[in-house]
Formats: sequence, structure tokens, C-alpha cells
Amino acid sequence: MTTPALALRNITKSFPGVQALKDVSIEVRPHEVIGLIGENGAGKSTLMRILAGVYQPDSGTIELAGRPVSFRGAAEAARHGIGMVFQEQSLLPNLTVGQNIYLGAESAFTTGGIIRWRDLYAAARRQLEKVHVDVDPAMMTADLDFATRQMVELAKALTLEERTDGQLVILLDEPTSVLEQKDIDILFARVRELKSRASFVFVSHRLDEVLALSDRVYVMKDGAVVAELPAAEADTHRLHQLMVGRDRQAEYYRESAQRPYGNKVVLSARGLTLAGHYRDVDFDLHEGEILGIAGVIGSGREEVCRTLFGLAQPTAGQILMEGKPVRFNSPSDAVARRIGYIPRERRVEGLVLFLSVTANMTLANLKEMMRGGMIDLRREARMAAGWVERLRIRTPSIRALCLNLSGGNQQKVVLAKWMTAKTRIVILDHPTRGLDVGAKEEVYELVRAMSAEGMSIVLIADTLEETIGLSHTILTMRDGRITHRFDASPGAKPAQVDLIQHMV
Amino acid sequence: MRSTRELARQFMPLITLVVLVVAVGAFQPQFVNPATLLQIASDTATLFVLGAGVTLVIMLGGIDLSIQSVASLTSVIVALLLGQLGYLAFPVAVAIGAGVGLLSGLAHVRLKIPSFIASLAIGGCAAGAALLLSDARSITLGETERGYTAWITGRALGIPNEVVIGAIVLIAGTVVQRYTAFGRFSTAIGAGEPAAIASGIRVGLHKVTAFVLSGAAAGLAGVILAGRLASGSPTLANQLLLPAIAAVIVGGTAITGGVGSIWRTLVGALIITVVRTGMTFLNVDIFLQQAVFGAVLIIAVALTIDRSKIPIVK
Repeated sequence: MTTPALALRNITKSFPGVQALKDVSIEVRPHEVIGLIGENGAGKSTLMRILAGVYQPDSGTIELAGRPVSFRGAAEAARHGIGMVFQEQSLLPNLTVGQNIYLGAESAFTTGGIIRWRDLYAAARRQLEKVHVDVDPAMMTADLDFATRQMVELAKALTLEERTDGQLVILLDEPTSVLEQKDIDILFARVRELKSRASFVFVSHRLDEVLALSDRVYVMKDGAVVAELPAAEADTHRLHQLMVGRDRQAEYYRESAQRPYGNKVVLSARGLTLAGHYRDVDFDLHEGEILGIAGVIGSGREEVCRTLFGLAQPTAGQILMEGKPVRFNSPSDAVARRIGYIPRERRVEGLVLFLSVTANMTLANLKEMMRGGMIDLRREARMAAGWVERLRIRTPSIRALCLNLSGGNQQKVVLAKWMTAKTRIVILDHPTRGLDVGAKEEVYELVRAMSAEGMSIVLIADTLEETIGLSHTILTMRDGRITHRFDASPGAKPAQVDLIQHMV
Repeated sequence: MRSTRELARQFMPLITLVVLVVAVGAFQPQFVNPATLLQIASDTATLFVLGAGVTLVIMLGGIDLSIQSVASLTSVIVALLLGQLGYLAFPVAVAIGAGVGLLSGLAHVRLKIPSFIASLAIGGCAAGAALLLSDARSITLGETERGYTAWITGRALGIPNEVVIGAIVLIAGTVVQRYTAFGRFSTAIGAGEPAAIASGIRVGLHKVTAFVLSGAAAGLAGVILAGRLASGSPTLANQLLLPAIAAVIVGGTAITGGVGSIWRTLVGALIITVVRTGMTFLNVDIFLQQAVFGAVLIIAVALTIDRSKIPIVK
């Protein structure tokens, strides 16, 4: 048997109050793609951070090509040939592509403290060729689309090839979560091509993707590896079972809980236009309706949602609430009209991470907690404890900082925030992004419950499957215009292909 | 579930203060007698009131550099108006302080100028106004005028009134921070402005409010100074800006916002006074004092910042 390119042996890591990793052993053989899956909190991120040198294990060893190594930082891990492509993109938008690719490695192009930009850009161009990305390395990174940025990250990781003698191991941490299908296909094609140059560890919540790309799959649960199997012998159902330790709900999107929506129109758009983004958008949102908007990046659906919450102001057309025109100059105007927003950037716009669970829940509705001009802290705590129980939010206490919660529990806090605010309309912008399967199901259940209580929902989902599964009505958008309206009653849901032909 | 370590970190500023007092007391026992300690407390009042106001702005992630000019300006206003208006001169002075704060806040929020620049510039205007109003001279309070300042300079039950004023500011500030929407939203804005905006919080309004309160606190500090020194002068509060901000930071409030409190600023202000007075007690050379003060400041901040809540220090 060949010496593994990278081996983790009996790695243990604990943090105050949690044992994050228990005796974890993983091998990555040369030219192999390893899939690493597990629910949030299973220990994947901790493991990745140990590999990247961000954390040091409490015990156990890391071996590279058979030699034990230890990393005291990301730079040292990189010197040993371990590169990372992050879930949250790590490129700095205010630098050029070339500057990003060689960030921290400029010394190779430096003479007497002065950087030879021409050489650096030439080298950057060669890196970009490896991943078949045809952009000028002198371009500002901010001007690239998401998919291209992901490719640039991959190119950046590949620069290690020239800087290390050993085998290259590239960690791909949720690289597909923000990509459209065609970009995912391109990424996978590149990874397969690059297998001759490197080994990969692929972390993802999307089990079908893990199966498509990996040679072998490791399944983690509660800080330990619970299974290791060749991808050829697995299917998503089996992986799901191993991950959560139970069967996937037969009814993933709770379609049987989908009730017909009311007749009352709560929000309408008439000729709504935001120059440069979308034009002539018309729709009616009814009480209790889940209205999904499907479209590719650039279709304008994101901007429509931002407009409905006052984060952008339309250049023409009207928003009507119960028949009367309204104008939202800022989110506070929208919140005053009982509109809530669950943003995709949960950790930036959804929550104040350094505030407690309680304070985050009342952020949009503090006035309900006031008595005589002062916050009634006891009442607030009771309310928070009630929501923690009702939504089964796993948190050490209601005073814990949201920072310390897992993604799924953070999202439940954001949902609780709008539920306490007695919101009538909620805009869900990728509500399950980055969540594991179990947490997703809980979010779906909550969305159904909100709809059953008469809340109306505008949904931009991560996948078409999710859009179809959850929505009562689906609008497709292409190039800033609504192209079709589908009814999506249970049993009569449109197929993905039906939607796609109106999207591209 | 709070570990002892976490608790120790939480109370590090307080521990630092006690250690400093005990250390100076070990060399100079008269330092720890009640009369000296009360004197230190009353000497700290002005610094604390200034620091308490600017704490509210720092919590939001901003800074108010106009406070010393505002305090000087209001000392001049008190000195000029006390003869004509009597007690009414005090609220007028505080209101003018609040008005200057309002201008800084509006310049910052409406014109989108960094608070650093906005408050520095408006502070410059306030300093200029103080010079014009006073003819660039110090105005000494006369006998009758001094009669109105007994609420600042006197004692109640043996406790200097300045200490009582400081205590009232502490209580009011704590209530504002803990129990009002403004206090809660300030923390939220300081710790995560995008999430605050996306929760519908009127961020601009709260920012302006913080500057108004900071201006009012600086105005009050100027009033106290005028009473204490029995005069008003356009340079009366000079040399107080940096110690006031240092008091906030030494107390463990994050300069980037979101973490901190008024009581921390009190502890920070006391640490600064204790170090200053302590050096005199220990006969540290007057020229060396500045250097020692700087070094102690660095050590105190290094000890008191809670890095679990302040991950990135800028």
C-alpha cells in the first residue's frame, strides 16, 4: 500500500465544555479525493482548522508522506503543501487577482524590498491557466463574479505546487455552497483534472456532490469518524443515515403540511423596476402564501427581495400593501410595516454575533419588552426561554453569545427574532445556506408553521428542489424580468426542467 | 456556566485598581486612609463624567474628540451667565454641550463623515467659540457667583458633592445602558451594524443620540470644573481628552464598540487618578511621571482587555 499523502492519527481536540474531536484518524492517499461529511457540530470545521494549522490538536499526530509534522499557523501548513479553498471566500476584494493569488508569498518576486509586479502578474497568469480561468490578473477581485473568485481561490492554492517539494493536499471547504450548477460542474472538472497534481479533501453538505467527486468518504458524527467507505459503494440515502443516525424524513419539505393560502393580498408589486437590475415586476403575495422566486445569479431576484425590505429603492413602479402604495426608504420602514428579512449572510446581517441569544431575539421588536420606558429584562428572558424551548434551540443558556451557536441554531434565533416581532411578511434569502440536513429539516418545519399561522413568505432558496418543495407559487426570473408563474400545490408541483427553461 | 477564569477576566480592571491602591498604600500608608481615598474619588469625578459620555459613543463604534473643547466652552458659559441667570446657568451650559454633540452627531450621520473627523472639527468650533466668548481670558467667579456652586464644591454627610454627582452619573448611565432601547441598540450597532440595520433599527438616530448624551456629559464636566476651580476658561479642560478616552479603554471597553459599560469607565478613571496621585505620593520625579504614566497605561490596557469578546484589536 502506498504511503498516504496526508494522515491524521488519533487526533483529539477539546474546547472548554466540548470535546470537538475524539480519536479521529483519516488518511488521504496520493491523487485521491476524500469526501468529508457530517452535520454541523460533527467536528468537520475543527478538523479542517487543525489541518490548516489554525488549531493545534491536544493529542495525536499529523503525517505528511509518512513524516510526522506539526503546524503552528496557516503559513506553516502552506509551506508543507496544504492549501485551503474556503467556504467564506478568503480573497480580499480590494486587491487585484494577482495580488490575492500571491498574498503572503510575494517574497519570490521581491528584489531589495520592491515587488516586481510584472513577474508576479506573469506567474499569476500561469496559475490561472491551470484552472482555465481567463481573467487579467491585474483586475480588481471585487469585479469578478462569485464563481470566478472560487476558481481564483483554487489557483491560489495551486501556487503551493511551486513552493513545496512534497505532495500537495488541498482542502475544499464547502466550495459549492454559493455556486450555480454549471459552475459546480466546471469546478468538479478542474478538480478531477488536478488529481494528477494534488490530493483533495472535499467538505460539503451536498451529499450527491460528495458522491460525484470523491473516491472515498469519511462520515463524522459528534466529533468522531463513524464510517469510511468508497464512494462507489454509497448512495445519498446511506450517507444521510450514517450522518444523522436516523432515516431521512420521507417527507423532506413537509409537503403534506402545505395548506392552501388565503385570499387576502398582503403585498403586491406593480411595474416595480430597479434600473440595471430588474424591470416591470408584478406579483401578488397572499396571506399564508410561500412565494418562491427562481432564477440564476443576475436574474434580479436578489435585488427584488432587497427592495421589498427597503435595502434598495425602486426607480419606478410601486409596492402596495393591502392595496395602498408604500415606500420603504430603509429597513426600519419595512420593519415598521411588519416585514422581516432573513438574510443569506446570517453571521453578518442576520445576527449580532457578540450579543446574547436573548438580545438578538428582541432586536427587531424591543418595544414589546418595554415597561415604563425601560426594558423588562425578566419578561425578555421569559420570552427568549420560551422560544428556545419552542424552536428547540441548542444553546448553553439564553445569555450565551450567538457566536458560540452552530449554524442551524443561529438560524433559529434569526427566525425567532421575526416571529417575536409578529411579522406578517418574511423574506427568506437562502434560509438554509450552510446548514446540515437535520437543521434544514427543522427550518422547513418552521417555514411551514409560519405559513400555517398566516405569515406570508417570499423565498429565494438554495436549490430548485427546495424552491419547488416549499413554495405555493413559483415565479421564474430571467435577465431582470418575470418569465413565468407556476402553481405549486402539493401533488401538482412543477418539475425542475419546467422551471429551468424559463430561467436560462 | 462561567469559569473562574472568565470571571477573573471580567473583573480584571477592578482587580487592577485594588492592586494599585494596595501597592501604593504599602509604601505610603497615608494613601489608603479614607480622607485621601475620598479626595481621589472627588478628583476623579470630572474625568469620569467626561469618560462616561464618550463611552456611549465608543459603544456604538464611534469616537467623540470634541469633549474637552465642549467642557472648556461650558465652563466659560457658566462663568459668564452665573451672575445674570443664577442656577439656570447650569442647565443652559449642559444644554449647549448637548447642542454641540448634536452638531457632531449630525455631521457624522447626515454628511457621512467619520466620527473622528466630525467631532474633532466641531470640537475646534467649540474651542473657538470659547475663546471668542471669553476674550481668550480666564474668568474668575466672584463671591456671589461662588454661592451658586456649593452643590459642586460642598459636602453632604462628609462626602464631597462631586462624588455624589459622579455616583448619579454612574447610576443614570448604567440605567441607560441596561434598560433602555438606546442602550441595547448601541451595543448591537457597535457589535454588528449590518445586522442592526437589517433588524430595522434606526441606526442614525441612535448614533446622534449618543453624541448628544456625550456632549451633555462633557457640558456637565465643564460645569463641575468651573465650580471646582471657581473660574471658567477656554483652556480649562485641556489635557483631559486623552485621559478620558484612556479611562474608557483601561476599564475594558472595546475602542471598536459593542463591548463595555459605564462602571468600567469609572474603574478606568479611578485607575488613572490612582496612578497619577500615587506617583506624587511615592515621590516619583515630576518629569518622569509622564513616562511612567504611559507605561502603566499600556500595562493596564494589556491586562484589562477581554480578548474573548474583542477578537480583533485595531
